[in-house]
Amino acid sequence: MSDEYKSCSLPSSAEPTATRSAVPMWIIVVTLVLVFVGFVAFDRHSGWFDAKVYAPYGSASQIESSQPVSETGKLLAVGKQKYEMFCGSCHGTDGAGKLGVAPPLAGSEFVVTKGFHRLTLIPLEGLMGPIKVKGQDWNLNMAAMGAALPDYDLAAVMTYIRKSWGNAASEVTADDIKIIRAEIGNAPKQLQGDKLMGVVE
Amino acid sequence: MKTGIGVFFAVVMTLGGSWFGFVVAPTIQLGSAKQTSVLVTGDIWPRQRTGEATLGLQVYRANGCAACHTEQIRQEGVSFEVVLTGVKKNPEAVSNLVSTLKLCDLNKEEADAAATALGDAGGKTETQISATGADIKRYNAVRRSVAADYLYDAPVQLGTLRVGPDLANVGARLADANWQLAHLYAPGIVKNSAMPSFKFLFEIRKSGSTPSAGALNLPKEFAPADGYEVVPKAEAKQLVAYLLSLRADAPLYEAPFTPATTKP
Repeated sequence: MSDEYKSCSLPSSAEPTATRSAVPMWIIVVTLVLVFVGFVAFDRHSGWFDAKVYAPYGSASQIESSQPVSETGKLLAVGKQKYEMFCGSCHGTDGAGKLGVAPPLAGSEFVVTKGFHRLTLIPLEGLMGPIKVKGQDWNLNMAAMGAALPDYDLAAVMTYIRKSWGNAASEVTADDIKIIRAEIGNAPKQLQGDKLMGVVE
Repeated sequence: MKTGIGVFFAVVMTLGGSWFGFVVAPTIQLGSAKQTSVLVTGDIWPRQRTGEATLGLQVYRANGCAACHTEQIRQEGVSFEVVLTGVKKNPEAVSNLVSTLKLCDLNKEEADAAATALGDAGGKTETQISATGADIKRYNAVRRSVAADYLYDAPVQLGTLRVGPDLANVGARLADANWQLAHLYAPGIVKNSAMPSFKFLFEIRKSGSTPSAGALNLPKEFAPADGYEVVPKAEAKQLVAYLLSLRADAPLYEAPFTPATTKP
């Protein structure tokens, strides 16, 4: 009985032990190839983990060069910023004007015009005296707020007020401002409100 | 166990590696994400949700909407188009060029080449960018989803399966709140819809002499019996407010496109 029992038990040499033997060469090669392919894929698609880089763009420089360049869009963006800095405190950031401070620009018959010559003269020369905007009389004094602005910034503000708050007039470029500035020369004289309608549009 | 130390280090490496990959790396990459600004207009993106829409996210979550709807739009590529905005000189040469050059469906290099050629001839051009891909086409979207879109989602309801359509841009795509309410009550208003009805978010009650202000205007086959009306409970209104807050329609630095408003 005890012999039979013994014959069922495993010999002590059957206890499994880990041995030291070399990893097969093919596993090392396959692993290295996979690591290489993985790094190539990272290189091509990750943009070095830049949070701003998403497919289908592969790198930060690629997305930088793909930004839309829109002249009108740029004018509007700069114009909004400059308008809110120089004009918005009186004319309102919504262009609705303020009673006793400044007339509205949204829907104003001086802003939504075919030409922009007369409109541009107002910030370049200033305006004084009675004018009528949207059926309401205003008699105030505006300084030449735009005289110190660079051509591009003033063009941007003009474009912004002509294209915002429901206004839909043409854009004004820096070249246009340059021409009007040259026409005024070095002797700007403040516009008179009652004669404003007589100025070329 | 002779290999105890080896097993210990293997476990540490495995768990540590996944912790690093799934927790640390994303935190380094996106953990400090803030509101960004929209291209051109400079508005902030994304806007904080209204209180009602924030509660709606929890209704969305509680009803398992994410089991059948995703909130992620994929983009396969970009296509460029060169548009002539004006002519400085040689109008004839420019119009000849416009009729011979390919100006749509270009890649970046082709677009730059076309813009340079037109510029040299005397034209003024603008290069427009649009997103392409099956999702973009299918859902009438304008760009892919990016991390910034989910800034105020807690938890983010990305979803993995599209039994129903993707909802990442549903606030812009189906902006009618009354339609959304009617669709939650009776998904059958869309032909062959597989969506279950969420009737329990609504109250069916006897109507007075005139219907209540918020009562649904349903087609005849889905309307309750005469003298009854369907009124959304607070949860239904919150869910719809959340759905309408889901938008991916502003041009961002990381997913640029030319919005329709600045096209000349």
